[in-house]
This record gives sequence, structure tokens and C-alpha cells, in this order.
Amino acid sequence: MKGTLMTDIARSRSAPRIKFTYQAALGLLLVGLIVLFGILQPVFFHLNVLFDTTSIVGEIGIMALAMTFIITTGGIDLSVGYILQLAAIVFGVVLKGSGSLASAIVCSLAAGTACGFINGIIISKTRIPPLVTTLATMNLFRGVSFIIAGTSSYTGFPAGFKLISTYLVFNAIPVQFFYFVFLFVFFNLVYARGTLGRSLKGIGFNEGVLLFSGIRTKRILLFIYTLCGLMCAVAALIYLGRLSAAKTSMGNDLNLQVITAVVLGGTSIMGGVGSMVGTFIGVLIIGVLRKGFTLVNFSGNIFNFTLGLVLIVALIVFAVIEERKKTSGRTLKS
Amino acid sequence: MASKRVISREFMLGAIVLAFIAFLSFTTGFGSTSGIFSMLLDVSPTILGAIAMSLIIFTGNIDISAGTILGFVGFVAAMLAKAGYPFYVFIPAGILTGMLLAGLNGWISVTFKVPSIVVTLAMNMVHIGFYVTFLPNAGWVLNLSDSFTFLGQGRFFGIVPYIFVIAIAVAALFIWIVKYTKFGKSLYAVGGNRQAAIYAGINPDRTVLTVYLVEGLLLGLAGILKATTANRLMPSVFQGREMIFIAAAVVGGVNIMGGSGKLLGAVFGAVLVYLLSITMIYLGFQDYFQFALQGVIILIAVFITVSDFAPLRKRLKKLFAPKRAT
Amino acid sequence: MADVVLQMEGINKTFPGVKALSNMNIDLRRGEVHAVCGENGAGKSTLMKLITGVYQPDSGEMRLNGQLLKVHNPNDAYSKGIAIIFQETSLFPDLTILENIFMGHELRRPLAGVVKFASFLDYPAMRRKAREIFGRLGMEIDLDVRVSQLSVASKQMVEIAKALSFDSSILILDEPTAALTSREVDTLFETIRKLRTHGVSMLYISHRLDEIFQIADRVTVIRDGEYVQTGEVKNVTRDQLVAWMVGRTLDTLYAKEDIEIGEVVFEARDMCQEGVIDGVSLTLRRGEILGIAGLAGAGRTELALLLCGLSRPDFGEILVDGARVIIRNYQDAMALGICYISEDRQKYGLVVPMTISENITMPLLRRISGFLGIINAGREREISTTYIDDLAIKAPGAGFVVNNLSGGNQQKVSVAKALATEPRILILDEPTRGVDVGAKSEIHRIISGLARAGKSIIMISSDLPEIMGMSDRVMVMKSGAKQGELPRSGLSQEKILQMAL
Repeated sequence: MKGTLMTDIARSRSAPRIKFTYQAALGLLLVGLIVLFGILQPVFFHLNVLFDTTSIVGEIGIMALAMTFIITTGGIDLSVGYILQLAAIVFGVVLKGSGSLASAIVCSLAAGTACGFINGIIISKTRIPPLVTTLATMNLFRGVSFIIAGTSSYTGFPAGFKLISTYLVFNAIPVQFFYFVFLFVFFNLVYARGTLGRSLKGIGFNEGVLLFSGIRTKRILLFIYTLCGLMCAVAALIYLGRLSAAKTSMGNDLNLQVITAVVLGGTSIMGGVGSMVGTFIGVLIIGVLRKGFTLVNFSGNIFNFTLGLVLIVALIVFAVIEERKKTSGRTLKS
Repeated sequence: MASKRVISREFMLGAIVLAFIAFLSFTTGFGSTSGIFSMLLDVSPTILGAIAMSLIIFTGNIDISAGTILGFVGFVAAMLAKAGYPFYVFIPAGILTGMLLAGLNGWISVTFKVPSIVVTLAMNMVHIGFYVTFLPNAGWVLNLSDSFTFLGQGRFFGIVPYIFVIAIAVAALFIWIVKYTKFGKSLYAVGGNRQAAIYAGINPDRTVLTVYLVEGLLLGLAGILKATTANRLMPSVFQGREMIFIAAAVVGGVNIMGGSGKLLGAVFGAVLVYLLSITMIYLGFQDYFQFALQGVIILIAVFITVSDFAPLRKRLKKLFAPKRAT
Repeated sequence: MADVVLQMEGINKTFPGVKALSNMNIDLRRGEVHAVCGENGAGKSTLMKLITGVYQPDSGEMRLNGQLLKVHNPNDAYSKGIAIIFQETSLFPDLTILENIFMGHELRRPLAGVVKFASFLDYPAMRRKAREIFGRLGMEIDLDVRVSQLSVASKQMVEIAKALSFDSSILILDEPTAALTSREVDTLFETIRKLRTHGVSMLYISHRLDEIFQIADRVTVIRDGEYVQTGEVKNVTRDQLVAWMVGRTLDTLYAKEDIEIGEVVFEARDMCQEGVIDGVSLTLRRGEILGIAGLAGAGRTELALLLCGLSRPDFGEILVDGARVIIRNYQDAMALGICYISEDRQKYGLVVPMTISENITMPLLRRISGFLGIINAGREREISTTYIDDLAIKAPGAGFVVNNLSGGNQQKVSVAKALATEPRILILDEPTRGVDVGAKSEIHRIISGLARAGKSIIMISSDLPEIMGMSDRVMVMKSGAKQGELPRSGLSQEKILQMAL
């Protein structure tokens, strides 16, 4: 796992130097956390326990990758947790109704994509800001997921399906981690070195100017929100594979984890600046925290609380740095 | 000059509210005294919450943690009551709690220049985590006695709940404050054109900080009013309440981008949103439809407020009216 | 003995790189309308910003009614009775006229006579005062209308009313008629005359000579930050004013080379935009540099926006290579080989926090990227270094952030970005504004080189020597219409200004 980390850092050489140092520091933080938890609970150091941390990051990670795109443009998507919930419910319902695993998967992915599309259309076509939009759609999706679920429960997924999330590569590393890394590679490539990434950063800084370069910003926005919806659906499938039940309470905590991972990773909430590598490490940190907390017998609620604090602190720190940069930048320019 | 709107939004909303009440009372026996009583009871805290949220929105900010703040307020007040403290202790304590928490949100946002959306988003989680983790019994307080519930369960003349009277009085007070004080005007100024507000001698940071404190006060009041209606308290029930407040404000004509809107509209909006949800329940829709409903309401209302209908209006004008002298 | 309310003596103000005002003197008498006249960039707005406290003078004295005057900020100015009517209004769009007028200094009434500190807004008193103010201005206005629903002229009236609500005795009007119709201008002048009878002293900044002769008592001409002359309007002629405004020796800037000019590549016919542009036509040939002169507000930028798809005309057609084309947006224009380079880099040109390389290659992303949109770093570097060298952009490297460059270099990056799309027709809007002299001549060299390479250029400029030095032909605009064209031979500043004013 650490090996992959290093190569990822090396791969993103195109990122400006300051960012590189931050991500490296973040990586150190990750290592530090591992060590900390290991000291508190030596079982943490066992390889299979370490690898197990990555099992829970599959869902968060995939959503965080897409969320990085969105936050880079200065936007946000508060509905991700509930898109996942909706996609999961759809899967359960279709599977129960038709018995066909394939159609359940397809419908689930379609549902997620549709949700993302709704977000994207509203954000790109109307002047309603992403914040308000996703605040509203978050409720909408949540409500719809309840409506579809009704009162039945959805369990009993076919064994083959569970394998999607529980298969252990080399009998050790959870397969989800590979999904995550795989997607990360693509996302990072496009983000750090691709046209899309640059356009996203441009949109985050100054959307108007991009039109001057022939870049169709509205189309790009529509795309990233729709993509996010799709990623949420993919994450839903992985989540389901792990939990084997579709419930209507999944949405809540995921939002926080996804956003915290992205912000922690160095992507600015104001847009324009960001790092996919940072998100990757951020996700891992959250995974370690989760696992670590469980091992030290802290409940999920303490975890959420800590995460909230982490987010606040990260926001404050970054905001202070931005302010510092602004005032110093002025003296440099003639 | 330009034409004024003939029918003001408040008038429309007021009419809708009346129509609704009429409809409901005819169809579902809702018009009985107990029905109206429980409606007034339920809607009172929402009215205060809607006002609180509107004040924040006027300045171009938002508070997504309002719901959890309510939870804390209720908890603090209930615990103090249970420990035997009289109302003149637990009520101010609750209000103070609200002010502290909301004030913290405002302080972080203003001092570190972090957008209030993210601050309150994170703080919301911090709040939830906190009370589930650190408060005994996840903040549940049971078996509250009369010394606590007298407020919520008492009524004037057997019909009008105390808390409704309080809510209306406070609402009226704040409507007055917004219209007749410099502070009220400065809210609109900061949200409408921050630079111009500075030129006019207004300190935007101080204004925003103050409005969060005021929001805290109102939330404190709302939380106490709500908490005292039952003899047990579950803070988690308040989670997500802010959506209702936002929906109420937005339906009532408050511009989500800040700078305009009327508190009276928000009050009507609160009642309207409440009636809508009651209607849905009576029509057989389940509880969770509320979420979808709120989402759609917010979208529609914001869309109307944010969109520029000028080109549409121009086209309509050309079709209908003859040229007017301006 | 004239009663002087405001006096400025020996005022100097320097900004990094440019001396805005040197040894400026001006005095304002009570109840007079004193016009301040000068070309773009002469220093008029800097002067006003000093009076209203936006800037502080480096040296010199200001006196208010004989007393030494220091204005720390705009609020301070208001409290001393000095108000300025901005062009871009500082009003609150969603609030009513009444609320806007009194924002920040509302009239109050104590709750109960004794309780001093609890006071609330006194609407009746404010309405009374507002009505009285508007009465003084000779208008009746519905105070409860939202400002966003008002026309520009009406908004201006509200600004004036706002200024008067401070009991301002000194009013500064900065190009007030720029966005007004002639009927609205008449109304404004009526207002100004009324104010004069009430003892308000006004500084009226404008370059519209007709208006100055209509409304002003005295006029002061400033040029290049220096005081030139003051005269009684009734004793001064138009020609004299023009001469005062121009009177400088021509610096030898980079004179353009003689190039063979080809066929017509671009033509605009009868371009109209309601209230802004009135039937403007122009032709442009290959290798030609067409200068567009005119004073601020003449509509040059607005015309340019029409020509490159950034705004839509109500009427008119555009022909490229003789064939009629429809330009719906900037993308269409780019596809036709037309590009627009503005002086407002933030708004139109550059993503300031990004690097030089990222900015230059932004229009080319599709061309330099391959599978999955991955950008070919090598080609990106190639392209950006080529432009950096060609345009002599002074920076440590292509990866340098644009924000840290000087104005002139930023402009060069802007030019490079436009050039990267390999346009045939370039519309340059004030290409050397805010640029130091050294970079200026380099940019001229570049523009000349472009013409030599067969590109056709429209150059909007307020810098007369620049226009005269660079253009093959000069088209002069005034009030949204084309006043005329002047060939290169026999160009003179006076001729251009005469047409422009």
C-alpha cells in the first residue's frame, strides 16, 4: 500500500511545488496516524488489519474522486450520500422484483446517473447556485428513496454479487481497494494532466474567461455532476456488496466523509486549486481513522464528531493560508 | 418610473394560507378546536426558526446546523429543569446555548473568511457527533415534569397555546425590528451589495456576527418552545429542521442570495409549508415524502427568485399592454 | 470676491510606474458648475478620488471653506459635505429608493422622549425629507419602487438625492451623461441648474464639449496629470479648449512600417445596438491596421463586442472575405478567425492565478491533447516558450504564475493567448493601457509584425500618439456613431479630437 502511495506522488510531478509538499506532509500524517493507532492497539500493525482499512474506503473514495472535480470548480454536491442511498434502494427493489442481478445493477447505475444529471442540469442551466441546488436535491433524493423502498427490507443478495466487494486479492487485499486505485489513476491523470482538469481549475478561478478560449463550461459542469451521480451508484454497489442489505439510513454520514477527504487533501473549497492525490491520501486517512477508532472502541459517533472537527480545522487552516497568500501576492506584483 | 407590483407576495401567501385552512377544516375535521390547537402548537417553533433563518439569509449567509442547535437548546433546558431549576433559569440558559452555538458559527465564518455553508455543514456534524457521544443517553431526557412542560402544554382560554402567543409576539417584534432599526436595514445592505454597505458606513463583519447571535437567540427560544411541548426530549428529532426553515423562508419570498425578502413572508411560508405537509399526511403520503417535498419546494421557490424574468416580461408586455408613459 | 468652497493647490499623486497628478491646482466657487476637462487618462478620476478620500495626496494642500482639509475615506467625505455621483452606482438593487437614500444615515426618533438610546427609524421624517429633496430637484417620485427596476438615468437621480440627503454642499459628477439619452440629459441639466440656485457647488467631469458649454460656468483643462488652464466658459471657444487639451509634442513611438495592404477581409455594415451603437460601418483589409479613436463612452468597446460575438446587434451584418456570416457567440467568431483582446484582462483575458503556459495554451487544449484529453506536456512547453520568446515576455519561465507579472507582461500573455488561436482578424481594445513605456513599444512592434504577417487589425486606443503612429486609417467615433475616417497622411491630434468631441 505504501508503495503505491510513493509512485502516485511521483507521478504527479506536474503539480506546482507547494502542492507537492503539502501532499507529502499529508502522507506523513497518514503514516503518523497508523503508528499512533498501532501503539494504542498493536494489532493494528498486522498487515491484514491494515489492508482491512482499505475495505471501507472503497465507497468513500470513489465518490471523493468525483467530488474533487466538483469542488475544484467552486461548487459542491451535498446530495452524494443520498444518491448512493437511492441507488442502493433501487438495486434492492429491482433485484427483489425481477430476480435479475444484471438488471438490478443497470437500474441502480442508471438511477445514480439520473440523479447526478438532475443536479447538473439545474446547476448548469439555471442560476441556482450548486449549494442550494444540492441542498434541495439531497432532500428530494432522500425522499424518493424512502418512497421507493416502502416498508420492505432488501436482503439476500446472490453470493456472486457479494464477491464484488469481498473478494480478497492475493487473499489479503480487499478488491475494493483496487477499484479505488484503478479509478484514481484515471481520475488523477485527467485531473492533473488533462484538458478536463485544467478546465475545471479554470472554472473554479474565473469561469467567464474560459469561454474566451472556446471551452464549453456549462457542458463540463453538467458532465461532472452527472459523473458524480454515476460514481455514487458505483459506490452504492460496492457498499451493498459489503453490507448485503439495502437500507434507508445510509446517506447521512457519507457526505461528511467524502467532503472531508477532499478538503483535507488540499482541494480548496473556493475552487481553482486542488489535488487528486491529496484526495486519495485523505480518503486513506479517513479509512485509518475509522478502523483505528473501531479498534480503540470509539463509536461511530465519536468518529463523526472527530471528522466534523477535522473538517472545520482544515477549512480554517486553508482559509488562513489563502488570506496570507492574497496579501503577500499584492506586494509582489508591480 | 417603473410599475409596482399590484399584488404583494404577502397578500398572496396570506390568501393561500386561509384557503388551505378552510379546505382542511372542511375535509378532515381539522377545523375542530383540538386540530387547530395542535396546528398552532406545531407551527410556532417553525415560525421562529423561519424568522431566524431569514435574518441569516438576508445577509447572504446560511446556517445548516440550526436543527442540531435546537437539539442542544432543548437538552440544556430539559436537563436544568429536571435538576430542579425554575423556569427563569432554564429558559435563559437555553437561549444562551443557542446564542453560543450560532455565534460560534458566525465567528468562525467571519474571522477566517470561510463561507458559512461549509462552516455550518461541518459544525452540524460536530454537533451531532457531540451530543450522541458526550451527552448522557445521547441527549434523551425523559419524564419531564410540569415545571418544564407548563409552557408548552398550557393554553389561554383552553384553546390558544402559550407558545403560539409567544411565537407571534416575537415574530411581530422582529418584523418591527427589521423594518424600524438601522440593524435591520444593515442586514439587507450587507447581503445586497457588500461594497456599497461599506461605503454607507456599515461594518459587514460586525453585522454578520450579530445576526448569528440573534439567530441563536431565536433558535434558543424556538428550541425551548418545542421542547416544552412534550415530557420527553430527543435531540435527534431536530436534525434536519433547518430544511423546513429554509423552505419556509424561500417560499415566503426571501431571496436565497440575500439582500431582500420580508419576514412576514417567511412567517406565512412557515405556515404554508406546515400545511402542505399536514395535507400530505392526510392524503396518505408517508412521513418521508416530506423530504422530497421540501426539496422540490426549495428548488421551485429559489428558481423563481433567482431567475431573471425580464426578457420574458418584456415579451409579454409587447404582446399585451399598449405603451405606457414612464 | 469669489467665495471659494474647495481649493486644491500643488497636489501630487504618484502610483507605481506612473505619475497621475503633478502640481495640480483647482478651485471651486460656491454655487458654480465647474467643468473639468481632459482626455482619457489625463487624471480627472484620480483628482476626484483624492477629493472624496479614496486616495490620499502625496503632497499639496486641500482646503474646504478656507480650512485645511483631509479626507480619510468616502464616509469621511460625506460627513464633510462632499459627495460624488458614480457612474457605476453604489445602490442596493433590491431596496427601495427611500431605503437607498438613507442607508447608513437613517433619520431616527427616540422611542419615548426620555429613552435616548432606544431609537427607531422615522419613516415619516425620511419621506418628508426625501420628498423635499426631490422637490428641490423638481421631480415627483414614487419612493417605494425598487432601485433595480429603474433606468440608469433614474438611478442617477437617486444617487443625487442620496448625496443631497447628506446635506452635501459639494457635488462631483463624473461623466454623468455617459449612459443617458438626450432627453434625460436635459432633465439632468435642469436638476443641476436647480441645485446651483440652492448654493450647491459642482465639479462636472466631462469631455463632451457641447455639454460643457451648455451647463458650466468655468472650465479647467488638465492634460497628462498637469494643470493647463482655467477659463470662464463664456469667454472660451471650442477650438481653444481643444488646443489646450492637446498641446503636446509628439513622442516618437514606434512608427509602423509600410506594408502592402491587400483586399478587404472583414466588413461590418450598419451595426446598430439600441441606445448604444448607431449605424456604424467599417471595412478592414489584409495587413491593415485600423485605429478607432474616440473618447470614453463613444461606444468603441461596445462596437468591438458586437464585432466578435460577445454581444448581439439589433441590426447589421458582418462579412468575412466578402461572405455574410452569422456570429452568435465568441466561439463562432473564433472559428472565423476573429479574436478580441481586451485591456480588462481579469474579465476577458487571463485566468490570473494560473501560469503563463496554462493561459497561453488554453484555447489550444484540444489540439495539444491526446487520448483521454491528456495534455502533451512537451508540445505545451514548445508552444508557450515560442510565444514567450516572440513576445519577449519577461518571466523566469513558462510555469510562472501570471498574477506576479507586471501589467505589460500580463498584456503580452493576453496577446499570446489570442495569437495561439492563429486568428486572421484581431480586435485590440486599449492594448497598451496600464503598460510601461518599454513594454509599450514592444507591443507596438508585435502588432506591426502581425500586420506584416498578413493579419488584419482593429485597434481601439485612447492614446492619440499611439493611434497616429500605428494606424493606416483612423476611424473616429462619438456617441455611438461613426464621425468620420482619416487617412494616415495628414493625421493630427487636433483633427482627431475635433471629431471626437
